Amino acid sequence: MKINGVAIADTFAEAFTMRVARIVITGRTAKWAREAAVKLTGFATSVIGCKCEAGIERELTPAETPDGRPGISVLFLTMDKESLPQQLIVRLGQTVLTCPTTACFDGLPDAPDRLAVGKALRVFGDGFQASKVIGGKRYWRLPVMEGEFLVEETFGMLKGVGGGNFLILADDADDALAAAEAAVDAMTSLSGVILPFPGGVVRSGSKVGSKRYKNMVATTNDPFDPTLRAITQSQLPDGVNSVLEIVLDGTDAPSIEAAMRAGIPAACRPGVNTITAANFGGKLGPHHFHLRKILG
Amino acid sequence: MSDAVTLSLAARPDHVLLADCIAADRFAGLDAKEIAELPVMHGGRPATLGEFFTIRGGHSSVVRIEGDVPQMAAIGAGMAGGELTIDGSVGRDLGLAMSGGRIDVRGPAGDNAGGARPGAARGMTGGEIIVRGNVGDEAGARMRRGIIAVTGDGGRGTGIGMIAGTVVVFGKAGPGAGRFLKRGSIVALGPIDRPGTFRYACTYRPPHVGLLLRYLRGRAGVEVAERYVAGRYERYSGDLAELGKGEILRWVGE
Repeated sequence: MKINGVAIADTFAEAFTMRVARIVITGRTAKWAREAAVKLTGFATSVIGCKCEAGIERELTPAETPDGRPGISVLFLTMDKESLPQQLIVRLGQTVLTCPTTACFDGLPDAPDRLAVGKALRVFGDGFQASKVIGGKRYWRLPVMEGEFLVEETFGMLKGVGGGNFLILADDADDALAAAEAAVDAMTSLSGVILPFPGGVVRSGSKVGSKRYKNMVATTNDPFDPTLRAITQSQLPDGVNSVLEIVLDGTDAPSIEAAMRAGIPAACRPGVNTITAANFGGKLGPHHFHLRKILG
Repeated sequence: MSDAVTLSLAARPDHVLLADCIAADRFAGLDAKEIAELPVMHGGRPATLGEFFTIRGGHSSVVRIEGDVPQMAAIGAGMAGGELTIDGSVGRDLGLAMSGGRIDVRGPAGDNAGGARPGAARGMTGGEIIVRGNVGDEAGARMRRGIIAVTGDGGRGTGIGMIAGTVVVFGKAGPGAGRFLKRGSIVALGPIDRPGTFRYACTYRPPHVGLLLRYLRGRAGVEVAERYVAGRYERYSGDLAELGKGEILRWVGE
């Protein structure tokens, strides 16, 4: 299978079940909503080192937010349901609570599993906090030096999907980067999906474990490292001198499939040799995204 | 089972008609005949609801009362859910000690809306009352939770002794509003005669007020001008003769 002359490998991306929450941050202006969202989703590229994965899903118009102000929707994922509230409490408390003008709302109101995040954050109010029930939802008002921070008491949690991916194998680093940027542009703002890595792109794809260091959970994906072609069992076709990976997390598998369907063709540009995907033989993750099936 | 239960005024009461049997959630388990047989007190004498109303439908928690019923008291008392709409004015004790659901009055309401039963410590403990007109004295008295929105003027002692919850008055709030308030909010979009036991805190844009007004506009169809949603409010803490954790929020401009 080829798209614009770029080979689509007959393989699949292997992804995992994670727990996901959607956080809606609003601000007096879009700038301040984004400032908070950027801080909230900072250092949240991979559960391997960050214990969570997060990213901006899309910008929200005032008509789409509970308080009628500009907003940002963020997806936040962890590997288990215990760590999701822990991460949210710490991160919301240090990033959104601290950010001028912001308020914070649940973006998964229909999810039956509820995380008492706002309820935990309320104690920052030191007894001066107050709550309001509006439309059956409880909100906490925390007095802060600027005025008040408003946060919803609970946030919904769903089973999501983490680790959808595809690899762009290109003639050189410039071509790989241009293709990755085009793919990210095509996938940005799609509902239910985030790209948690810097600019949506990963240059340091990893394999499980290490050949040399026992304590390492993940190390460089040497079969796809062009500089190691001569000394490893390389999986790179001739002519490939740079590889970039796009990692996708989402609320469900169809959302990730839809994003891959948009992103992969966009990456099929001049200078790109092959699009492939990372997997572990299908033994680790229950979600398998077959490239040719998705694009067929 | 019908989409709604409709009560059409057939015989205007000569005296106060105590109709605390009317509650939207209660009607969900009754047919029209059973609703008509519910007891009321007319001028202190026992009667039935069917003597005053023609009842259509049954087994629904969506209830509509057609006609002005200013002599009817205690409509929606103890209501715990459902929607009750009154197409006209209504008498005192509307939504007395209710705990859930929504009462929407398309006209003025009498005294003690959302208030407490005589001698009781708590008024309404949940739900929403929307009065599209003026309301009598002591609306929201001793309320513990819930929302009362009055698009007209509030009478004397609006929110008196409130324990928590929110009262929004679009018009003028009468004297004594918020007196003995422990927690809770009185949002005054118009003039308010503020008790001296409230102390000015600051002028700011309270985020929950915008959220609440947008909710009233979106879910309840209350006309709310944008200047109130995004506006600035003076915050007065009080009642400092009580717990002092409540507030009067007075709109001062955009």
